[in-house]
Amino acid sequence: MIGRRWTALGALAVAAAAILTVVPVIAHHSSAPFYDSTKTVEAQGTVTKFLFKNPHSFLYFDADENGKKVEWQIELGAAGGLTRTGWTPDTLKPGTLIKVSGRPSRAEGSHGMCCAKITRPDGTPIVTGGRVTEEQQPPR
Amino acid sequence: MRNFTRRATGRTWGWAAVAVMAIALSPSRPGIQAQAPAQTPPAANAARPNQIPDLAGIWDGTTRARPVNSERIPWGKDNFPELNERALAYQKVFDEALSPKYDCQPASSPAIQYDPYSMEVTQWPDRVLLRYEKDDQLRTVWLNDRKPTIYDWSIQGFSVGRYENGALLVDTDHFVFDITGFDDYNGIPSSQLKKVHERYWREGTELKVTVTVEDEMFLKKPASYTARWLPQRPGYKLDAWDCDPEAARAAVKMMPPKYK
Repeated sequence: MIGRRWTALGALAVAAAAILTVVPVIAHHSSAPFYDSTKTVEAQGTVTKFLFKNPHSFLYFDADENGKKVEWQIELGAAGGLTRTGWTPDTLKPGTLIKVSGRPSRAEGSHGMCCAKITRPDGTPIVTGGRVTEEQQPPR
Repeated sequence: MRNFTRRATGRTWGWAAVAVMAIALSPSRPGIQAQAPAQTPPAANAARPNQIPDLAGIWDGTTRARPVNSERIPWGKDNFPELNERALAYQKVFDEALSPKYDCQPASSPAIQYDPYSMEVTQWPDRVLLRYEKDDQLRTVWLNDRKPTIYDWSIQGFSVGRYENGALLVDTDHFVFDITGFDDYNGIPSSQLKKVHERYWREGTELKVTVTVEDEMFLKKPASYTARWLPQRPGYKLDAWDCDPEAARAAVKMMPPKYK
């Protein structure tokens, strides 16, 4: 019984972490013309650049696709919004291995995602403890 | 024992589901309207009829206060503007890629009031200053019968205001043409004939506004929405926006081009 309860709590932790690592895209443009909300893609690779900026942040990483190197561009929320959830410009340093799933970009031949869930390759969250609340926001 | 185990496991799953839902619906998640944490303002902040309302402070317009803006918010089925033929023609040929926001041009009224960021209000005897965290914009509302000059045409226009019945009334004109000057989502332009009327008032701890826009070049009749802000937490300072041109335009290449 105890084992089952721990299994349940473990599942809760995994579910919460999954929610907590979904990065918000907020209020600058609609995602619909850019990304297909009916599909999900997943990729894994090494961070090359983290543009922690307004109006939207962008994460770039290289992934292997059938033996060819592909650069992915992941659209994230505004730097201001990410800061409120515990992210900093150093959260994703070049060289960090990540796994990303999200809505794929619509443009032919492009490799982009939005509304992404970003974790380490083993599925653990990028930000320890997930998102923080505004009341626990780090000093500016 | 087996029944008890099943019940216990069921309870655990039940609590797990409740906890996950609580996290998923927490106020920090965009798109979800949530109640604000209690913050009691000074008694002097309460608006009184025929007196100048105390609107000063930093106000939170994020998802704590209201749903995030989108194609249907704040302009929904009940208040979506009636577009004339000219506006419909512009909307039909509109190409998202040429929207000036992808080159860091700031949002204008009536959109900037609803962007999900904070706003600081400063009340001086001859003017009210509205500073928006989004796009680093500062609007000046003149209370002293100041008249616009030919140099006052701008994205934010020229604003005059007055206090009336416990509210601040603001009238703004002298806008320049803006191909997305109505909002960020629906491809509706605004013209140099656009006029925006705002009414700000206090309701308890909240700051409320009704924004009404008229533009005979594009709208058949005025359209309006009402929104609210909540008091920001003590000590909060507005961040610099510092729009980055590379980050502003990076998304465009992910969209299939409308024109080649």
